[in-house]
Amino acid sequence: MPHTTTISRMTTTGAPPRLSTLAQWADRHFKWLLVAPAVLLILALSIYPLLFSLVVSFINYDFQVPGHAFVGLKNFERVVFDPVARWSLLLTACLSSISVAIEFVLGLLVALTMVRSFPGRGVVMSILIVPLFISPVIVGQAWTLLLQRPFGPTNYILTQLLGQEVTIGWMTERPWLYVSLIIADVWQWTPFMFVVLLAGLTAIPPNLYEAAELDGVNAWQAFWAITLPHLGSMMLLALTFRLLDAIRMFDTIFIMTGGGPGTQTYTASYYLYTVGFTQFHLSQATAGSWLFLIFTALVVTLLVRRLLKVEPV
Amino acid sequence: MNDREKRDFQAGLEAEVDAFMRGETTRRNFITRFGQMTGMLAASAPILGMMTGWALAQQKLELADATSPLGQAQAAALKASKEGPAEGSAFRAVEAAKAHAGVTINMTYEAGLQALDPRNFSGPMWEQLTGMKSNVVELSNPDQYSKAVAEHIAGSGAYDVLDISPAWTPSLADGGVIAPLDDYIAKYMNPADLEDYHPLYKALPTYKGKIWGFFDDGDMFALYYRKDIFEDPKMMEAYQTKFNAKLGPPKTWEEYAQIAQFITDQMAPKVYGAGHFRKAGSPGNQFDFLQQYRANGGKLFGDDMKAGLVSDAGVKTLTNMLAANKASIPGNNELDAVSLWAAFLTGKVAMIYSWPPSGRMAANYSQSATAINFIPQSQIAGKVGYAVVPGNPEHATGYNKALSADSPNREAAYLFMQWACSPPVSLARCMLPYALRDPYRISHFKSELYGALFPSAKEYLANLNNSANVGLLDPIMPGAQDYFLSIDRMCTAVWAGADPKASLETAAAEWNETTDRLGMESQKAFYTEFLKLPGATADNTVEKLGMAVTL
Repeated sequence: MPHTTTISRMTTTGAPPRLSTLAQWADRHFKWLLVAPAVLLILALSIYPLLFSLVVSFINYDFQVPGHAFVGLKNFERVVFDPVARWSLLLTACLSSISVAIEFVLGLLVALTMVRSFPGRGVVMSILIVPLFISPVIVGQAWTLLLQRPFGPTNYILTQLLGQEVTIGWMTERPWLYVSLIIADVWQWTPFMFVVLLAGLTAIPPNLYEAAELDGVNAWQAFWAITLPHLGSMMLLALTFRLLDAIRMFDTIFIMTGGGPGTQTYTASYYLYTVGFTQFHLSQATAGSWLFLIFTALVVTLLVRRLLKVEPV
Repeated sequence: MNDREKRDFQAGLEAEVDAFMRGETTRRNFITRFGQMTGMLAASAPILGMMTGWALAQQKLELADATSPLGQAQAAALKASKEGPAEGSAFRAVEAAKAHAGVTINMTYEAGLQALDPRNFSGPMWEQLTGMKSNVVELSNPDQYSKAVAEHIAGSGAYDVLDISPAWTPSLADGGVIAPLDDYIAKYMNPADLEDYHPLYKALPTYKGKIWGFFDDGDMFALYYRKDIFEDPKMMEAYQTKFNAKLGPPKTWEEYAQIAQFITDQMAPKVYGAGHFRKAGSPGNQFDFLQQYRANGGKLFGDDMKAGLVSDAGVKTLTNMLAANKASIPGNNELDAVSLWAAFLTGKVAMIYSWPPSGRMAANYSQSATAINFIPQSQIAGKVGYAVVPGNPEHATGYNKALSADSPNREAAYLFMQWACSPPVSLARCMLPYALRDPYRISHFKSELYGALFPSAKEYLANLNNSANVGLLDPIMPGAQDYFLSIDRMCTAVWAGADPKASLETAAAEWNETTDRLGMESQKAFYTEFLKLPGATADNTVEKLGMAVTL
């Protein structure tokens, strides 16, 4: 017979236990002690740098100019009156909205296709989401290899397909350089839209479609009357997340065009990088970052407000 | 334990047991586990440190086959360090450094191939000779400046030896980041070894009358062309018929574009006349513009320190460059330096001008190292001729070894610098197939061992020396990076169809803004200092100053 041990509740009598002063203090503040390391980390790694950057944007902090004199709004002025900065902001807005719009449409189409079960669906889905796991730098490099003349095969393939010589400078000629950047971005991020929208689509109760079918509603009407309203919040969520990411576009530009030709592919992030880490005008770059942050915050606020206003169907 | 303590203890224990029975995490075991985790983290730090140290540890000394020219150069470096001559800088540095055995020297190096020299060769050899260890900190090129400054501001003393671009010397010297070497040189160096520098490079680390480092990388642009095409009788005859001139390496930029176009017209798509690294952000634009602009008589700044770019020389330079682009391989404006090498080595391009590794790669010497196997094997070995770039070639950046002013081991660090840049040791370093250090001493250009590295190595060295005789220096002054960036933007905008004159005006405005930001008067003083250097303008090259080196 196996040996067994029974643990029984201990019984005690008398007054409740008395803790030492330190233990009492620890007991009272235990929750604060638990969060203290996290708070300290956030203070050290986020709040302090943020406040410091605010200070830096009002002083001279340039590796080439000695001293840290207070310069007031000079750094902000440099950014605001820099035509390259204004162009980079405009380009950021254009590139990100075009890319995200294309990704949204493609992602929705793919999600609508993939929502129904078919043989090999799992494999196709896995292949479709592979670009999501690739670093944007690698994506930029891969598209460079495909598009860059004279070694990239794109022009050769197009020449064979079209029957006439194609000599497009994909990374040096307008508008093709923008097309290249958008293609690279769309290739990588359409799967994100697809995954989010597919999750939304699968959450729509199938009985709604069955009822609609019984009522003689065609597919297009079902899409407008059932799919779109139910998918609305997910669409807005996907667009918000993607747009927030897209306005930071940097990696592919760094690899594919180097910001050129001239400053034609400078996005806000690339502009700030160049000013801060190529020219070492750190205070100007910091002031620019704050301005960019304000711009981003406005976009975010609008999108989030819209997101919160979405009413459940 | 009195009754009350006993009751407290039992109550506590009871609460613990109850929680345990319910499967809850009690405060006690949370704290215990938290403590264990913290302890493990603390313990893991040294283990991780050891593992990192092991991963980045200095390699064993890697020596080439003793019968090869490189092996012989390495043996000579070792011998000069161990046995002398007693007045040699290498020997004196090693003897003095033995007093610092056990010290670790932290040195910055450009990440990648450049860093293989101190990791595989000079670092381990120095340790073997002196007992001093070296720690190579690999940084990207811009970080070699910014990190040095940041560590200086922090006063960390993180670095002992800094690899810097000569253009940064005035800023770093004035900022107190680097220390002058004059006292150490007087104490330890053989003065004859200073005289062994090619005159173009000798003065490069000198600023305000002091020496702020040792020049250590002769990045001279030179022209590399396909002899088999240029000497092809049919091509020569066709060129003679068309232009009433002999086909040969071009002497002017107009002739360069003309020859490139001629070869393209005759041989494309098999071979194109020329290729350039014109991609935005690749430094080809800035170096090429600066060399052609100054060869065309252009001045960087006027007497009032306003940018001199908007000039006939500026327009002529961009016009010539556009003509060369048109005559070049398709995709010319998308190439970076490595892609251009690939195009040349695979025989698609008849002439290029670039850094000295071009010649070593064309001869298939560099590719003997596995570290550099991303460069294709040369299909043109034995077919390459060398010439001076039309007008005046650019000395495109280069490197100085500088002594960090915050180094806690200044003397030890200096001694390493002196040893690494001494004639026998620097020769062996320049001969490493994977390293990107290029010849810069007169003894390098005259070296029989270097001359035996590949069949045409002597011609290659002679051409590098001749190029240095008429070579031009990059502007050495604060803001150089800003001025370069403006040129790159200007050039790439023009390649994309922008009007050259308007682009020159935009770049000039950016230059003026940079000058204003850094202070007109102080920039003027820096520029005046720069103009004193041989090779600052096309009118005061080493040759024009009567200091040309003949081998």
